[in-house]
Amino acid sequence: MSSRDAPGKAYDAKMMRRLWGYIRPYRGLVTRSLVLLFAVSAVQLVQPYLIKRVIDDQIGAAKLEGLGFLALLFLAALVAEFGLRFAQIYVLEQTGQNVVFDLRNESFAHLQRLPSSFFDRNPVGKLMTRLTSDVEALHELFTSGVVMILADLLKLFAIAAILLWMDWRLALITFAVVPPTLVLTWFFRSRMRETYRHVRAMVAKLNIELQESVSGMRVVQLFARERETLERFGETNREHERAQLLGVRYDSIFTAVAELFGSITLAAIVWAGGWGILEGWVTFGTLVAFIEYSAKCFRPVQELSQRYTVMQSAMAAGERIFGLLDTPVTIKSPPRPRRIRERLKGEIVFDDVTFGYDPDRPVLHNVSFRIAPGERIGVVGWTGSGKSTLIRLLVRLYDVQSGAILVDGVDIREYDLAELRRSVGVVLQDQFLFSGTIESNISLGDPRVTREGVREAAEAVRIDRLIQRLPSGYDEAVRERGSNFSAGEKQLLSFARAIAFDPAVLVLDEATASVDPETERGVQRALATVLSGRTSILIAHRLATVRDADRILVLHHGRLIEQGQHEELIAKSEGVYRTLYTLQNA
Amino acid sequence: MRTAVSSRFREFARPYLGVYALGLLLLFLTNGLALWIPWLLREAIEKLENGSKLSSIAWLAWAMGVVAVLQACARTASRLAILGNSRKIAHDARRSFFAQLLRLDATFYDANRTGDVMSRGINDTRLVQAFFGPGVLNLLNTTIVYVATVVLLLRIDALLTLVSLTIYPPLMFAVNRASRRVYARSLAVQEQLATISNHAQENISGIQQVKTYVQEAREIAAFRELCSEFRRRNLSMAALRGVMLSLIGIVTGVGTLVVLYVGGRFVISGRIGFGDFVAFNAYLGLLVWPTIAMGWIINTFQRGLGAMERLNEVLAAQPQDSSGFDETKVEDSADPPREVGSIEIRDLTFTYPRAGQDGHREPALKNLTLSIPSGSRLALVGPVGSGKSTLANLIARVYAAPPGTVSIGGDDLNDIPARAWRRAIGYVPQEPFLFSRTLRGNVAFVDPDADDAAVKRAVDLARLTQDLEEMPDGLDTVIGERGFTLSGGQRQRATLARAILGNPSLLILDDALSSLDADTERSVMAGLDELMRDRTSIFITHRPSTLVGMQRIVVLEDGCIVEEGSHEELLARAGLYTRLFERQRLEQGLEDL
Repeated sequence: MSSRDAPGKAYDAKMMRRLWGYIRPYRGLVTRSLVLLFAVSAVQLVQPYLIKRVIDDQIGAAKLEGLGFLALLFLAALVAEFGLRFAQIYVLEQTGQNVVFDLRNESFAHLQRLPSSFFDRNPVGKLMTRLTSDVEALHELFTSGVVMILADLLKLFAIAAILLWMDWRLALITFAVVPPTLVLTWFFRSRMRETYRHVRAMVAKLNIELQESVSGMRVVQLFARERETLERFGETNREHERAQLLGVRYDSIFTAVAELFGSITLAAIVWAGGWGILEGWVTFGTLVAFIEYSAKCFRPVQELSQRYTVMQSAMAAGERIFGLLDTPVTIKSPPRPRRIRERLKGEIVFDDVTFGYDPDRPVLHNVSFRIAPGERIGVVGWTGSGKSTLIRLLVRLYDVQSGAILVDGVDIREYDLAELRRSVGVVLQDQFLFSGTIESNISLGDPRVTREGVREAAEAVRIDRLIQRLPSGYDEAVRERGSNFSAGEKQLLSFARAIAFDPAVLVLDEATASVDPETERGVQRALATVLSGRTSILIAHRLATVRDADRILVLHHGRLIEQGQHEELIAKSEGVYRTLYTLQNA
Repeated sequence: MRTAVSSRFREFARPYLGVYALGLLLLFLTNGLALWIPWLLREAIEKLENGSKLSSIAWLAWAMGVVAVLQACARTASRLAILGNSRKIAHDARRSFFAQLLRLDATFYDANRTGDVMSRGINDTRLVQAFFGPGVLNLLNTTIVYVATVVLLLRIDALLTLVSLTIYPPLMFAVNRASRRVYARSLAVQEQLATISNHAQENISGIQQVKTYVQEAREIAAFRELCSEFRRRNLSMAALRGVMLSLIGIVTGVGTLVVLYVGGRFVISGRIGFGDFVAFNAYLGLLVWPTIAMGWIINTFQRGLGAMERLNEVLAAQPQDSSGFDETKVEDSADPPREVGSIEIRDLTFTYPRAGQDGHREPALKNLTLSIPSGSRLALVGPVGSGKSTLANLIARVYAAPPGTVSIGGDDLNDIPARAWRRAIGYVPQEPFLFSRTLRGNVAFVDPDADDAAVKRAVDLARLTQDLEEMPDGLDTVIGERGFTLSGGQRQRATLARAILGNPSLLILDDALSSLDADTERSVMAGLDELMRDRTSIFITHRPSTLVGMQRIVVLEDGCIVEEGSHEELLARAGLYTRLFERQRLEQGLEDL
């Protein structure tokens, strides 16, 4: 099955060292949790001893006086156990939550820095798993992994010590039961682990089969293959059942055997203890205390192997998370970036640019052009011609494969990345609003954009009236992805955002989404305001929008094949622009 | 509703009632033996008090061992019986569920999302399994243990029993309350995790915008806030969980405390013996687990009932077309494919049936009349949404046409068994759907026993033979998500090969060659020419290369036939067809530039 299911190491020293780096800040909490663990074990283990005292000192001596005191001590031990265990659970959870909090945030932050090409290679679902289930698996490491193993071992050793102290002969006889318990537990647990892994694999198979049958139901029915499909599913279903029944078998035997060991230990203690009582080297109290103590050590023994599984999956999850954190950030600012202190002039040069999302399959071939400051450029082309790729390269979502892009005569790779992106205003096709308020969506939280600046920008694109009509005006909340705004409103808002920064270069990827004619007119009017006084590039899907451009670049299959004004281009017979124009007006 | 649900699941449980009875019997035996052990302990202690011989103690110890072994056997058998039953019931339920899915038609799948159907098939059957397995087991076990233990405790001392048992109900109550609250808070935790998930997903999907607008820092801060809330909710759950686990941890101790203090007094005053004292404590210990399990049992039953209701919604659904698959009917392969006579469509108006109708819907086809003679070839052309696929779907009976509107060789299509009719059809859908198995398995889908020659011929006709060379195992290459990825054109040709292999008398291609380049398409069409010589074929297409030379083309717009004739005739008319054709020609030209 998938690598996730494969058993792996339960302990990896390198990984633990790395994890320790995340635990260190909380070592105070870890210490507290360990101290609490000791305390819980202590008040727990004192209880059987108190029982022994009651039996030997009170009942055995037929003495009522003092019984109340011992009972009170016992009650105190119970109350303390309750309180301490509660504190221990809580503190341990705090530790785990804090560590996981840091890890999750660091992973997310690192994700923000990774280049776009990383996201092309990794499906969203996979990255989500890193941030959710993998991080949660590491959390398990704290709540039921390392610390609990320590606690279990501690308890076992303490019980062993107490038993030896009370009576070493009886203790040795009792201990005789421990090795077979351990061996059998380990045997069954490893079998069960394997069986459960098999069951999980079968569940996954069942899932896939069901999913595929449901999505392919029409094909199944059109070809009248229902009976065969049912048989196929039935087989997987049966296999799944068989795996489950095997799991049930181990589970049933294991439960019974665990009980059996308890009873056999009891029998052994009764026999040996009885012998001791008859010979006088064991008291009744000791006998009962032994029974109580032995009952307390079964749980830790059985759980040790379960903890092993937790460790295994935590280690695997850790490996995947650290794998993400170790992915290098390839697109970043140079060590000594050229600062953009004043507004750029806005000259753009593409110099022999070749680029492919897959380096072996370029989508842009040796593209060269120069855009003068203040020029208005339209870019057109058939689907897949590489229009949108131009923008992605200009704001360094990707870096060119060969050639260079220069802004104001400087290679864009020499600028500070954030400053470059702020200087080039981009209005993307997919209108994206961030959660927050209208104001924060225009200012993008940048302190350089004042409240007045936001209002001016909104006025310039004529959306201020609409904003003022909202209940909270500029403070109106924007829901996730801007779902409470129409496409046209979102477009105008992103225009406002683009000009609030007064960028020297403005790039517009024209929206294909159709808006109603009224809004369309509004957008067109706003566009005129937005474009004036800066270099602009319009990626056009409707040729009408670029008719007035100073120059139109025509891309076809990743090559710049025609350029010129609308009238020049339309005059070329057999030209791509002319064909596109005919198609749109057909 | 509830009664329908419970009767359906009584049906599922019925075959296993005998085993359940056996399981119940074994549980009685298990617990009888389990309760015997403290009794033996009591006897041993009484003997020790009286200073009897070691041999009699040893004998009792042996007896305990033997009883324990017997108990282990009975316990194993009882669990095997009852838990095994639940797996079998879940298996049966899943099978019936799946058989029902095969029976339901397109109307059901239009109304229910795949994820929802999946969740019922996987999660709900698991909840049903928990109901019939651990649920029933623990209910029976708890009841038996409680009743028997209380009886034995009463036999030792009524007053002591009363005193020690009064501690349990409030404890049980507290544990239950806490666990219910833990459940509520864990839902809140899950909710927040989902919020985090959503945020991350939106962020990752919109990562280009985030970068372009330099919003990384703000996104990180927003994510941090969500995580912070997640941590808060987790800790609030941990607090309650801490209370619950700590409570469970001291349940045994509380019982012991009462026995120590009150029981100790009784022993000292001679009211009960020391052996009674020890046995009493041991019996109380047996009550701990059932006490804790009570809340869990109630929960399991509630969730199981909910799951059964959801499953029953699907199981009770009726397909619109009752002549579809029926598992119980022995039929089929003997049932020959229906002969394809001439297809007559008369005054057909069709509106898609939608579950939860929220108002009037436009008919997809309006007063359509069309005759497709046996052995003829027809092309359907029209803009998106003009009703081409709807017409093909009605002919293939994916949806049922109104009675009297579609007839085959004189018989109303609705009177012909759906599956016999479909056997005569080779349908190549718009979206090429392939199963995650070998290419051979996909092509030979209709007839898994088809010989190599037949498969090769179909693959060859679909012009896939050359593509086989680039696949690692040729025809036996596993394709799909976890196997070899086919290109769009290869997928379309594979679905075509699948249709061809069935040797259909009627072939329907629903825009099924759209991803092929012009040369391959021409070559495929040439092959089909030969194959479909005397058979009926319907092509939904807008590819110029297919349309040129077509003798009969029907042009649809808004569900009506607007033009009809040969390619040349239609071109001469300079109407909708001419516009569509020109557009396609230009696009094709652009691609080839």
